[in-house]
Amino acid sequence: MSDPTTAMVDSRPRGLAGDAWNDLRRSKIFWTSSVLVFLILLMAFFPTLFTSADPTDCALSRQHDGPSGGALFGYDFQGCDVLARTVHGAGNSIQVGLVSTLLAGLIGLCFGMAAGYFGGAVDAVLSRGIDIVLGIPFLLGAVVFSGRLSGAGDDGVTAVTLTLGLLTWTSAARVMRSSVVAAKNQDYVAAARMLGASPARLMFRHILPNAIAPFIVVMALLLGANIAAEATLSYLRVGLKGEAISWGLQIADAQKHARAAAAPLVWPSVFLAATVLAFIMLGDAIRDAFDPKLR
Amino acid sequence: MLGKRPWKMAAVAAAISLLVAGCGSGDSEDPTATANTVVIGINEPQHLLPTNATDSSSAQVLNSLFYPLVSFDAEKKPVEVAAEKISASKNNRLWTIKLKPGYTFHNGEPVTAQNYIDAWNYGAYKPNAQGGGYFFERIAGYADLNPLDPDGAGPEKAPEPATNKMSGLKKIDDLTFTVTLSAPFASFKSVIAYSVFYPLPKAAFSSDGVIAKGFEDKLIGNGPFKMKGSWEHDDKIVVEKYSDFKGVVPKIDGVTWKIYGDQMAAYADLVSNNLDVQTAIPTDALANAPADLGERFLKSENSVFEFIGFPTFLPQYKNANVRKAISMAINREEIASQIFLGSRTAAKAFVSPVVSGFRENSCGDACNYNPTKARDLYRENGGPDEIKITYNVDGGHKSWVDATCNQIRASLQVKCIGEQEPKFAVMQDKLQNKQDIGLIRLGWIMDYPLMENYLNPLYGTNGGSNYYGWSSTAFDTLVKQGSEASSPEASIKKWQAAEDILADEMPVIPLRYGQNVFGYSERVANVEMDLFSKVNLYEIETVV
Repeated sequence: MSDPTTAMVDSRPRGLAGDAWNDLRRSKIFWTSSVLVFLILLMAFFPTLFTSADPTDCALSRQHDGPSGGALFGYDFQGCDVLARTVHGAGNSIQVGLVSTLLAGLIGLCFGMAAGYFGGAVDAVLSRGIDIVLGIPFLLGAVVFSGRLSGAGDDGVTAVTLTLGLLTWTSAARVMRSSVVAAKNQDYVAAARMLGASPARLMFRHILPNAIAPFIVVMALLLGANIAAEATLSYLRVGLKGEAISWGLQIADAQKHARAAAAPLVWPSVFLAATVLAFIMLGDAIRDAFDPKLR
Repeated sequence: MLGKRPWKMAAVAAAISLLVAGCGSGDSEDPTATANTVVIGINEPQHLLPTNATDSSSAQVLNSLFYPLVSFDAEKKPVEVAAEKISASKNNRLWTIKLKPGYTFHNGEPVTAQNYIDAWNYGAYKPNAQGGGYFFERIAGYADLNPLDPDGAGPEKAPEPATNKMSGLKKIDDLTFTVTLSAPFASFKSVIAYSVFYPLPKAAFSSDGVIAKGFEDKLIGNGPFKMKGSWEHDDKIVVEKYSDFKGVVPKIDGVTWKIYGDQMAAYADLVSNNLDVQTAIPTDALANAPADLGERFLKSENSVFEFIGFPTFLPQYKNANVRKAISMAINREEIASQIFLGSRTAAKAFVSPVVSGFRENSCGDACNYNPTKARDLYRENGGPDEIKITYNVDGGHKSWVDATCNQIRASLQVKCIGEQEPKFAVMQDKLQNKQDIGLIRLGWIMDYPLMENYLNPLYGTNGGSNYYGWSSTAFDTLVKQGSEASSPEASIKKWQAAEDILADEMPVIPLRYGQNVFGYSERVANVEMDLFSKVNLYEIETVV
């Protein structure tokens, strides 16, 4: 009702996704964040497009030198190229963020679907399971898990990914459960059931496509949060370690020398903030499009 | 008329007393602001019982509670302090120690020869598992208290010692005792300056050879300060002047040993005058320290020697040439100046410059930075493709380990990573279980100013701190011959020959010599630190 022109211009019946796309197309926030996300992904998968320097080529003779030649951001305390390290750091952040979010999504989807669809005792047990995981203080759990999971000598990527995946799926599961509960009582589901559809067919063909929208929104927001969480853990020295390059590690190392040279602290912080912001803005835009009521 | 005056006077008296009381209570609200005491920062000591306390923080605290038999003059020669006279027999095997009369413990007990004998026997007795127990190994009868394990590290346990008294300790009278050594040692007088040789009062023991419960938290010593209250773990240890002390009286009335977990927090307290002395300014604060503290930022020589060890069970580092190549890949001077900002100096020998017998470059070419030669030597001898340096993360070692790895990576073109362990004890466990932990970062502070102290404990086959398990019969023999030599000069000759074996074999890579890099607040003056990294409590004073 609020926007009658759209309906008149395009008279074809559209699904939820179509509606959402129509909204997104006209959202400035969506385009801004998309461009940022695209740049960050490019940086993560093809770092050499942005810098030709080797991030592990460090020499104390260049300690805290200013910008020169290819090293636009100057050199840090160990004499490493700050630009090269910041750009190469994107890869680990994105990898940990994407994989851990997918893992969390998969767990959340299974728990949420099963709890919402079967209801009753299954719901009670699964929901308490969700509550238990939700009850683990995040930092405490992360410190314990990543400490146990990471072996000596590895760079901690697998450990941090697993830790984040295992600790952050609860909100996705709750959202999924409630939208499945709402969808399964719809008439079309009852009709499909009366026609003899199997539970699997009901769940995946009829309920899931109509209940997935809030879940996608949660996933998009979680991606940004998990990237920030990886940086936090690395900063606290319980995340990535050893030879791994990470914004969190860079910030932790540069912080001690901030009074002597600020650039090695500022640039990874800026990149981290921009990345998290981009993913959260993208998540917001998608939520607005999928769920106009929340606006 | 008469009736009025007394009332007036009483009122005035009351007013005065109120005023006085007011002042008094004002003072007691903030005793540290006016009292003649200082606050010195330390880490949580591992132990405080003298025979078990071998870390630097406990050494600081014990230095305030106890008065040593000997200490060292400016030429590092031992001089008697609590002892009246220490003399040796002609062959340097029988030592007679005569104590000064009149000294008492903080509980009033007189200090007698028996107090020393009891403490030393307790420290040497193996079942007591005292960290400083090995200091007594030169005394005759030590072996009876420490029977050898019949099958080494095997399942069979060592037999229970037959006695808990060393046969080499003999009381002559209340103030005199003799020490018989198992082998002649011309420099024994230097050894007994260390804190494990402090006496313990009768009150320390609940029965013969058993330390009373809770004694460690409420130590009773023979020194210039006594404990006020008990050891408040992870918080502080407060000591105050002992009025009956007969030795050199300090200028201050007490010390609060404040325990910090984070040295950067301690530094912040120092800058804001909440802490009076920080004995080791953290590396990360060094760049700002000259500006923050000005004249109150000082450096002095100390005995610290830092190095990297090669666990001998790792096959990839068996070849001495591989070890030399890694050593040549490291630019020590650059790390000392860029990472430590001159608070350390490059080490090219296996002993510290503070002991006599030190030679400038006894390590030779193997300690000189030469990346091309290092790479050739490394390739020729088939060094591993990946080098790992394990360090304890609580010691502030990350910066230099990272820099060292960067240099190794650039020079040898191999992978190099710094592996963190939460505590040094975890590294020790992994070494004991022969896990592949790569190279290990190590450091050494001397116990007595002799070259031997840098050799036997670190590389001797039974050395207490020989964590990497290196062993050489020729080396052991030379060190032993040096210890038994008739004169200090002859000793040094033998010890230098032993050091040459180390230079050939490179069981460790010498990296740096330390310095005391300390600072003090505006509240104190005359702050000095000695070779053993202890604050000189007899000189420090407060200023208003």
